Amino acid sequence: MSAHKLTPASMSLARVPGVAIVLAILCATFGVMSPGFVTPANISNILSQSTILLLLALPMTLIIMTEGLDLSMGAVLTLASIALAITVVATGSATLGFLAALTVGFCFGLGNGVLIAALDIPPFITTLGTLGIAQGLSLLATDGQSVVGLPRSIEVIYSGSAAGIPLPVVIAALAYALTYALLYHTRFGTYVFALGGNREALKLAGISVRGMLIRVYVFGGLMAGFAALLMTARLNSAHPTAGIGMEFDAIAAIAVGGTSFERGNGWLFGTLLGVIAVGVLRNGLNLLAVPSSAQVTCIGAIVIIALFIDGLRGDR
Amino acid sequence: MASGSVVSEAPNGAARIAGVPLFELRGISKAFPGVKALDDVSFDIRSGEVHMLVGENGAGKSTLMKVLCGAYRADSGSFFYNGEPVTIDDPAAARQFGIAVIFQEFTLVPYLDIAQNIFLGREIPGRLPGFIDQRRIHSEAKRVLDLIGFDIDPHLPLHRLGVAQQQMVEIAKALSQDARILVMDEPTAALSDRETERLFAMIKRLKDSGVAIVYISHRLGEVFALGDRITVLRDGRKIASVLPAETTPDQLVTLMVGRPVDTTYTRASRPVPGKVALEVTNLSGPSGFSDINLTVRAGEIVGLCGLVGSGRSEVARAIFGADRITAGEIRLFGEPIGASPEESVRRGMALIPENRKTQGLALNRSVSDNIILAGLRKLFPSGLYVPRRAIKAARAIIDKLRIATPTPRRAVATLSGGNQQKVVIGKWLNADARFFIFDEPTRGIDVGAKAEIFRLLDHLVHDGAAVLMISSEQIEIVHICDRAYVMRGGHIAGELAHHELTEANIVRLGIHQ
Amino acid sequence: MSSTPNIAARSRFAPSRDAMQALYRLLAVALLCIALTALSDVFFTTNNILNVLRQTALLFLMASGLTLVILTAGLDLSVGANIALSACLAASVIKATGSPLLGIATGIGCGAAIGFANGILVTALRIPSFIATYGMMWMLTGITYYYMAGDTIHGFPPEFRQLGSGYLLGVPMPVYVMVLFLLIGWFFAQRTIWGQQIYAIGANPVAARLSGVPVERRLVLVYAVSGAMAGLASLIILARINSAQGDIGEELTLPAIAAVLVGGTSLFGGSGSVAGTLIGALFLTLVLNGMNLLQIHSSWQPLVTGVIILLAVWIDNRTRRSDA
Repeated sequence: MSAHKLTPASMSLARVPGVAIVLAILCATFGVMSPGFVTPANISNILSQSTILLLLALPMTLIIMTEGLDLSMGAVLTLASIALAITVVATGSATLGFLAALTVGFCFGLGNGVLIAALDIPPFITTLGTLGIAQGLSLLATDGQSVVGLPRSIEVIYSGSAAGIPLPVVIAALAYALTYALLYHTRFGTYVFALGGNREALKLAGISVRGMLIRVYVFGGLMAGFAALLMTARLNSAHPTAGIGMEFDAIAAIAVGGTSFERGNGWLFGTLLGVIAVGVLRNGLNLLAVPSSAQVTCIGAIVIIALFIDGLRGDR
Repeated sequence: MASGSVVSEAPNGAARIAGVPLFELRGISKAFPGVKALDDVSFDIRSGEVHMLVGENGAGKSTLMKVLCGAYRADSGSFFYNGEPVTIDDPAAARQFGIAVIFQEFTLVPYLDIAQNIFLGREIPGRLPGFIDQRRIHSEAKRVLDLIGFDIDPHLPLHRLGVAQQQMVEIAKALSQDARILVMDEPTAALSDRETERLFAMIKRLKDSGVAIVYISHRLGEVFALGDRITVLRDGRKIASVLPAETTPDQLVTLMVGRPVDTTYTRASRPVPGKVALEVTNLSGPSGFSDINLTVRAGEIVGLCGLVGSGRSEVARAIFGADRITAGEIRLFGEPIGASPEESVRRGMALIPENRKTQGLALNRSVSDNIILAGLRKLFPSGLYVPRRAIKAARAIIDKLRIATPTPRRAVATLSGGNQQKVVIGKWLNADARFFIFDEPTRGIDVGAKAEIFRLLDHLVHDGAAVLMISSEQIEIVHICDRAYVMRGGHIAGELAHHELTEANIVRLGIHQ
Repeated sequence: MSSTPNIAARSRFAPSRDAMQALYRLLAVALLCIALTALSDVFFTTNNILNVLRQTALLFLMASGLTLVILTAGLDLSVGANIALSACLAASVIKATGSPLLGIATGIGCGAAIGFANGILVTALRIPSFIATYGMMWMLTGITYYYMAGDTIHGFPPEFRQLGSGYLLGVPMPVYVMVLFLLIGWFFAQRTIWGQQIYAIGANPVAARLSGVPVERRLVLVYAVSGAMAGLASLIILARINSAQGDIGEELTLPAIAAVLVGGTSLFGGSGSVAGTLIGALFLTLVLNGMNLLQIHSSWQPLVTGVIILLAVWIDNRTRRSDA
């Protein structure tokens, strides 16, 4: 692990412009092509829509830094949203609903973490399996139908605002601050860097690698539970296919944002910019009436190009 | 070992250093399957002294160090701290006694900064639970870095540092643990002259403050410049403990070599060298070697020696086409080569790699599958694979090399080390290779199997094949090879013809004087 | 070498571990059959058995190519999306030209091209296979939906439909295709030097490369074959359901992976077989068919498949560890 062939300063300098340039080009293009793009309402709309994605992309960044992956995140988000909606409809309590969503997230995060860390099942296959499980549970709980009849109090979480700032943006900002503090200022965050960068060093320092890995996935599950709150509020309902594939947008945002998939290097601010870039892309393509299927293809291509560039950087 | 015990212990020398040792190991033995790594070794460390530990590759230095820091458990022997018996059975116990080790392989995390690396696992808690007091770990790190005279901003991420700077961070990390006993494994291997000087100044300061230092080195210059005492290991035994003033570099080399001949095989006759099989000119590569020139003729066994890390295996891999080269030319039987292992294999080259388990064998596949892998094209030119024929070919090799396996269908993982190595060699016999590179062919196998492998080498060259053999066992090179190249720091330091081929000459060329 | 250790070793190690594992799997399939016969009146009827065989054939065709990929310690998550695009393109071609042969060529060619692209991503661009094929999966899904724009293509010539819903001597056509490709797959993996090289790559890619195996070319081949098999499977589906839609292969990736893993091919490469995958496909089809017969809601299917995948990998992990 000692031979880091990276030349000094090659990483961060080569990367900072990358995602910023992508974002600038996207904004300029859509600004010129679509008159409705640069309006306060649309910008506010982009930011609000990006919040759910950000809540998934933040923990996914940490997971990818440990050389892991969580393909189940979109399905867990969906299931948590359904749990929230069903609980709220049944009890009328938004708090209980929120707790239900967090519980679902926690259980799946813990399950993923234990399967990966304790049973040594590779992350991509573990989360592929739990993706199936979460999807199945979603279908079972709803019989394929939407859960509707939520009180206004839920909807307000997405549509409301505090001091002129949309509430989801406030929530996302808090989530970003929390993750930032966790990653850069706590022991947990330090060990996340070590999990991907040099696991042996962590072991020699007397830290439990398994325990740390489990915590990373639990964090992912909990954030998916949080995101479920926003998603349910946005749709004012829960639907068994609502969050399917969300993890893919998150992976795209992270790849564009410059987090490495192989060397334990993450950049949280890059993920933030990446999320906004994906949001701008989706919004701009929507304004230009490009169908969402073509948007998915675009994003797929972006992931592969970003990973290719990441691989090139690793070779130097 | 009678010759060794004459000079061992240097009783008057030891007596001159007064007081109870800070830490003492007595009668330590440690065996690994097939190898006795440490045999009844006693070793002590005193406050304020630099105790040099020298010996050839495989003499047992690393094992002794790992026993000291609790990474290995000794099979027998005892430990004393300030004269009191203690036990060390894990790294935590060793840390309790203030033992800190600077390994050759870094235990650093690339994307954390210097301070975070220094305090990994020992972070200073901040006000909130789970948080780190970033300001304090950075100021503390700065203090430790200043202590070793390393002027660098502790906020710099580690991946921006060069190897030498990383080495300094590794040293700071060990020191920040308030080490009373500091073990360094070739700390100057990656350092420039200026950095080395600074490190030495730091070692002197540490020594003056009462820290005991165990220093492993291959560089005789620093052994004499720094050492208060020198202990020589050979074949897992302590050969001597001497004072620098009472010995010379030449005497030290004599103590280090002189390993008993542990092979039962002697080459009765040596074939007359034929045409040039391999010719390497001005070869340089990104993996750390440059300007390599060597030739191997048919019927010759040519040694490639030097210390571990001198670039021997890298040169071998480059010749085989497995690693990129930046300059130079490789010719096999007169024709240029070097594009890929695939081409090398097709043209009759064979590589018996350094690590047979990770590079040589598909362990969960059968003996037969492994033996035929390199020769598939030759055995089945039509591309159709016939199991019966494969088994037959494998049986022929198994009989020829006397590989001890009940059936060719047995998974190779279940075989002993010597038999696994024979499977790797058999793979190339089956592929009709004419030029062989053996990289540490006898590592981790028993004496009997070693002799068989030497017999095989002899047969190969008598049949007109050419062999380039890498070995850390100088005695093997002297015993088996017709001539040898000695590498040092990525260059060929010299070539030894048959009459010059002695252990002392190899060590002299290979070691930094 | 005397004969004594020979006999001792043989009695201790024979029958081989692989044979025992295959036996356990067949036993599981047999138990499943017995249980289903007891639980459902419909299970042991000619109609249902033929139905099970037809479904097994479909799953096997997808999973057989995937088996080769997993043998090299890779993964192809794009098989389901590949099926969708290949089916839709083949359907358009058949509709436009009226020629089933051109349609078949399109389906298989499209599948193979996608697989080839996966192979390039994994080898030349050095992207880990699970993430490369995952990106590919979403790209293909997008392209398919865009291309179809919500339409359905249906009504194919009867001679093409024979491929999926026809019978020969009372046995469904897909079963013949399955047997044909079982033989081809077995021959390729066990009786060609490429097959040997693929196993070696999965067991130890470094040793394979240092033994002169052209690792990258073989990997591209394996992904292309996996893609081509997905293309073939898409044609069978097309012929069976007589219509093509954008979501046609969506729910097939997980069962295909499950079939390979249940069939005893290790996710870590180097061990397993195409024949094992047939057992895996049969097992999975029986489970899904049984759930159907017992009127368990189809929503359980992804859940059960997910659990089966996790169990299969866990068991493989344990056997590998006890070996070591």
